[in-house]
Amino acid sequence: MNKPTTQTRSQGGPPTRARRAAGKRSPAPARTPARLAAFGPAARLRRPRVLAVVALCAAALALPQVLPASDVPVLVTLLLSAIVVTGLSMLMGYAGQISLGHAAFYLIGAYTAALLATHGRPTWLGLAAAPLAAAVVAAVIGVPLLRLRGHQLAFATLAMQLILLNVVGQQEWTGGDIGLQGVPRLTVAGYEFSSATSYAYLTLAALALVVIVTRNVVASRPGRGLRALATSEVAAESAGVPVVAYKLAVFSLSAGFAGLAGGIYAFYTGYLAPGSFPVLLSFEFVVMAVIGGLGTVWGALAGAAVITLLLQELNELGTAEGMPGSAPAVLSYAVYGLLLVLVVLYLPRGLVPSATAWWERRRARRRSGGPHDDSPAAGAGAGRGADAGAAAGKGT
Amino acid sequence: MTAAAMLRVEELSRAFGAVYAVRDVSLSVAEGETRAVIGPNGAGKSTLFNLVSGHLTPGHGTVHYAAGDRLRRIDRLSAHARARQGIAIVFQSARLFHGMTALENVMVGAHARTRHGFLSAALRLPRHHREEAAITADALTALDRVGLRDWAHRSADALPLGQQRALQVARALCARPRLLLLDEPASGLRAGEREALARLIEGLRAEGLTMMLIEHDVAFVARLADRVTVLHLGRQIAEGTPEQIRGDDAVLAAYLGQEAPA
Repeated sequence: MNKPTTQTRSQGGPPTRARRAAGKRSPAPARTPARLAAFGPAARLRRPRVLAVVALCAAALALPQVLPASDVPVLVTLLLSAIVVTGLSMLMGYAGQISLGHAAFYLIGAYTAALLATHGRPTWLGLAAAPLAAAVVAAVIGVPLLRLRGHQLAFATLAMQLILLNVVGQQEWTGGDIGLQGVPRLTVAGYEFSSATSYAYLTLAALALVVIVTRNVVASRPGRGLRALATSEVAAESAGVPVVAYKLAVFSLSAGFAGLAGGIYAFYTGYLAPGSFPVLLSFEFVVMAVIGGLGTVWGALAGAAVITLLLQELNELGTAEGMPGSAPAVLSYAVYGLLLVLVVLYLPRGLVPSATAWWERRRARRRSGGPHDDSPAAGAGAGRGADAGAAAGKGT
Repeated sequence: MTAAAMLRVEELSRAFGAVYAVRDVSLSVAEGETRAVIGPNGAGKSTLFNLVSGHLTPGHGTVHYAAGDRLRRIDRLSAHARARQGIAIVFQSARLFHGMTALENVMVGAHARTRHGFLSAALRLPRHHREEAAITADALTALDRVGLRDWAHRSADALPLGQQRALQVARALCARPRLLLLDEPASGLRAGEREALARLIEGLRAEGLTMMLIEHDVAFVARLADRVTVLHLGRQIAEGTPEQIRGDDAVLAAYLGQEAPA
């Protein structure tokens, strides 16, 4: 890789910023003497959460190089899903609004990028326009849609996607059911993204951007407003939260994320058709968000990773030699469904919150069993446990 | 009442179907006054409360509020626009925000007087940092005020009912309101909690905060209010000082006709 060195360097940016931000979110923990010692970059590195983030970033950067070439496309798919799911998880987990039609925004992003590129506009412009188009469409249709709640909103978003699929399938300028072919490769400042590996890095950068924006939004004034309106729109409204505007903003922001992923997808595959954005894809995004853990930033990544890999494995297993003809269907529907049911039954909060809770319990047990267990430390421990719980709610 | 009016309700009516919940109610709350609105069940107290807070729109009549140096009509404004004008609310049912710490719950209260939005938050602009620090400090002060400082970083969901009400008061105070509306704040509280709440309201009253207190419990009101408005079946049947109200025949009839005063 000659050019991607700059690519990797620009990758180095977001993780450090994330780390600084992660360290900065600790004005509260600083109260306890135990946490006071936790300041300073060296001490910060020892904290398990920061360590985990750094390790994750390092692994993410190494992965496209280490993986066999045949697995890189799976990684790209996984990361693209993670981008969409991060936005969806913010919409569902923080603001309490459901969208069963998020693949529609993925579609809008993809078609926007592809149409601009195939009409001779620069490809980078297509990529920039993809999230904007999706966000604008969401802001417009969100005005009537977001008056609905719960199941009604879910079905309305689903209907929106069905309508969009129909429209796109019948228009000449979208290529109808056949779709758009020959989408050129993305070129930014003279560098052409041509290999799967380059798209893996591009998607990673986009995911990093999306995660940072989400994290910054949820841990802030608007984020508190969103979480407040998820519980009670009436109470949030009285506290001065412009509920309608906030719901529109978060809907549009999450649609913008989906549009960004769609834009990358268009350049990556070079071919689009309505069939690439089925309703099932929307369901899959919701499943990923729920399995990973709603209301957590990392849950989206975990959910996207687990579901993408699971589907991939089940598919490989089903089509392996010696398997009966019914194996693919049984595996990709029955076993997949069963696993989902099991996760929802036994880890109803999703993977990441369950894992965080387990980790906190383990730490608390270890501390209380330790030799330095005097009462002030135990008090500080209780406070820290609560902090961590709150932080988990806030979404780390 | 020589002081300027903070809130003026004129001939306010609101019907649900054919039934008037509030009919031709007029009242004026002076700056610094603590006004109680009492009445038996179904008197229209909560409807009046919601008409002032912005959760209901009146069928008829107007609500004016002193914003800046003159009275402005607010009955067509949304609830959050009224919150921005300095009206804060304590609900009867504990409407705390789930999955948030006590501190975060209180910080939401500051929404009414802070500005930074999605863009400054996403980009972590200086404005975000400035406001966040100020909001956190104010929220901690408000928590201190209601005696919940120790709960700051614990989940609000785990608070006992009395403290949940107190937390709501803290949230309202974090908005630095000019008019505080309280909907049956003492309902469902134990004697000790009720006493603590009464002392808190007395403290706010002493500081000159204008309050409108919707209450069922006459004894609670008599101690706290400067003036009392009595509603019965949606209509206003009396207004005066707590002493005047206690001797009012119409009020006695309304209360004793249905149930004895608490």
